[in-house]
Amino acid sequence: MNASVPASLPSRRSLLRAVGLAGAAAVLPLTGCGAEAGRQNGVTTLRFMQNKPEVVDYFNQVIKDFEALNPDIRVIQDFNEGNFVPGLVRNDPPDVVTRGFAQATADFVKKGIFADLADLPAAATINPEMQELISSWGRYSGNETSALPFSVAAAGVIYNRDIFDANGVAVPTTWDEFVAACETFKAAGIAPIYGTYKDPWTLAQGMFDYVAGGSLDVAGFFAKLTATGADISTAAPESFTNNFGPALPKMLQLASFAQGGAESKNYADGNAAFAKGQAAMYLQGPWALSQLIAANPGIRLGTFPLPVTNNPEETKARVNVDMALSITRNTPNMAAAQRFVGYLLEPAVVNTYNEKNAAFSPLKDAPAVTNPQISGLNHSIKEARYFQGAVTYFPPSVPVNNYIQSFVYSQNGDQFLSALDDEWRRVAERTAA
Amino acid sequence: MASSTLTRPSLPATKAPARSRTSGREGFKINWWLTALMLVASLTVLLPLYFTVAMALKSPDQIGTGTGLAWPTPMNWENFAAAYVATNFPRAFMSTAFVTVFSVLGSLACSSLVAYAIARNWNHRFFRGSFVYLLSAMFIPFPVIILPLIKQTALLGLDNPAGVVFLHVLGGISFNALLYIAFVRSIPVELEESARMDGATTWQVFRKIIFPLLAPMNATVGIFAFLGSWNDFLLPQMMIADPALQTLPVVQMLFQGEFNTNYSLAFASYLMAMAPTLVVYILAQRWVLSGVMRGAVK
Repeated sequence: MNASVPASLPSRRSLLRAVGLAGAAAVLPLTGCGAEAGRQNGVTTLRFMQNKPEVVDYFNQVIKDFEALNPDIRVIQDFNEGNFVPGLVRNDPPDVVTRGFAQATADFVKKGIFADLADLPAAATINPEMQELISSWGRYSGNETSALPFSVAAAGVIYNRDIFDANGVAVPTTWDEFVAACETFKAAGIAPIYGTYKDPWTLAQGMFDYVAGGSLDVAGFFAKLTATGADISTAAPESFTNNFGPALPKMLQLASFAQGGAESKNYADGNAAFAKGQAAMYLQGPWALSQLIAANPGIRLGTFPLPVTNNPEETKARVNVDMALSITRNTPNMAAAQRFVGYLLEPAVVNTYNEKNAAFSPLKDAPAVTNPQISGLNHSIKEARYFQGAVTYFPPSVPVNNYIQSFVYSQNGDQFLSALDDEWRRVAERTAA
Repeated sequence: MASSTLTRPSLPATKAPARSRTSGREGFKINWWLTALMLVASLTVLLPLYFTVAMALKSPDQIGTGTGLAWPTPMNWENFAAAYVATNFPRAFMSTAFVTVFSVLGSLACSSLVAYAIARNWNHRFFRGSFVYLLSAMFIPFPVIILPLIKQTALLGLDNPAGVVFLHVLGGISFNALLYIAFVRSIPVELEESARMDGATTWQVFRKIIFPLLAPMNATVGIFAFLGSWNDFLLPQMMIADPALQTLPVVQMLFQGEFNTNYSLAFASYLMAMAPTLVVYILAQRWVLSGVMRGAVK
């Protein structure tokens, strides 16, 4: 995709470009005002693509600060992530990219789109456990560091502190305590958990990932499963059937604590209802916090990792690398791009961003989070007791979210797990060839 | 209307009861059933429009409350200002307007010329073949060819709004030419012959005779081209490399994160982006309807 251009092409290419430009310029005066990327009057222009529209303003300020310190670099922010692949096709990708790091981005890594950042001074300041969240997806040529984490989102159970206090319920640290808390709320006529089953992804990232991640080693399981390839069957020791079985009853138990009519509620409904105090707990990540606060600025929220066993030391939080910084390999502005990435990973910049956006900083010596909405997860993050959601390991061609939804409705666990085994094998057979 | 009254002169005796129901023009009787049906049908347009306006005026905490039908009090006019600033509205608007104006002009000029050439040379195999060739383009789904197109336009330095205009004009030719050809055929050749007798060249015939006669079809094609390019999302999103030249529909993605949607700003912004479409439609509505009918009855 991003292969180097044959030596003979540039002349023809520039000729074509000249012809096209001349034609375009004749018809339209507007093309001229497009900022030409690259170097002009000693100022290097960088394009920085990030995929979170809600932090565009924040990064504009960060960029302003950076430009003040580095007058020879100008940074243009682009939040139109749909233009990333076209940029690669044009052989003109953005210089610095941040994306959520999971399978899709790992695919780009495997193709060698991103430069090796291992030698950047900033790379040494990253918490190795958090770097491993990225490396575990595979590294280019086995040892390159294609992306550095910038923001790690940790998800658990969001709870309404006022409802907890009013009912004298403390944050549960074991599964039994959690079930007891749910029973207390139920007895008091409060829905323990707000379910939004109409959006299957909320079931997937919520109860499925939490329960699976809390009861088994997700990364290890998928590593073995991938190694098994197309030989997977329901009887194999690596199969879903033989590993996820014990987790399913807990999922159904969680489902039984949801409010009535959860099947017809979607994510937006859930945010509106939970913000109004219609349930005590909500299985959502930090991305929901801003929506909840917007709907009810007075609400007091907290988050705790869902305890899935009765050993508090086994409780883990679900994390995802929400933003990971990469530099595209062929950028003509490598030095400037490295300076920009280095600036973004300065403790003052990266720690402030994460504190302000309810996320965790990936730096080794990052201070504990003080935001009361997510501070309940501090312990899990500090002890590196976290996992990446099981659903994020599935290839996009497996509609795992829908399978989870249909399992919650039908409660047929055997069918669910054997379907996952079948789907995994089908994809493995197809991709092995 | 005129023809139906002409063909039924023999029924004056039964006129009163039979016609009162169907012809409101003479009896001034209102068909209440049909009116009620139309009122209900109009809700399919008015209700979403109401939601759009109401949503645009809500503050974030008003969005989650009630059924959504309630009119927001107090009204939050600042949403429009905030959306205006967030999208850098004037710049995005100019970019979109540029794409739209040149797409419409280009579509009108190119498609009518193509159609005229094909319709008047129908006896040549080459022109018949090119008609089929152009039509066959309608069977190629756009997403299939988008990556090669991106590559080509980048090589030509057209990874900007000009490239989007180019592709809109080109992509519209097959459908627009189809409309125009049917229309050109209904124009009597004798008109052209008399012009030629007076010494007009082919270009003059087209410019002075044919193109003015195409007016109703021009309106139809113009409206299609306007809506298509004003609302287009995929092509500008993929084609325009410089974020500063991006069009409104793409810039408006700003309000829609993966998990967060800023509904009030989004709807305020949609309303501002919709305004030109509404204005054009209201102004051109008469021609659109007549144009569609002319094309339908060949």
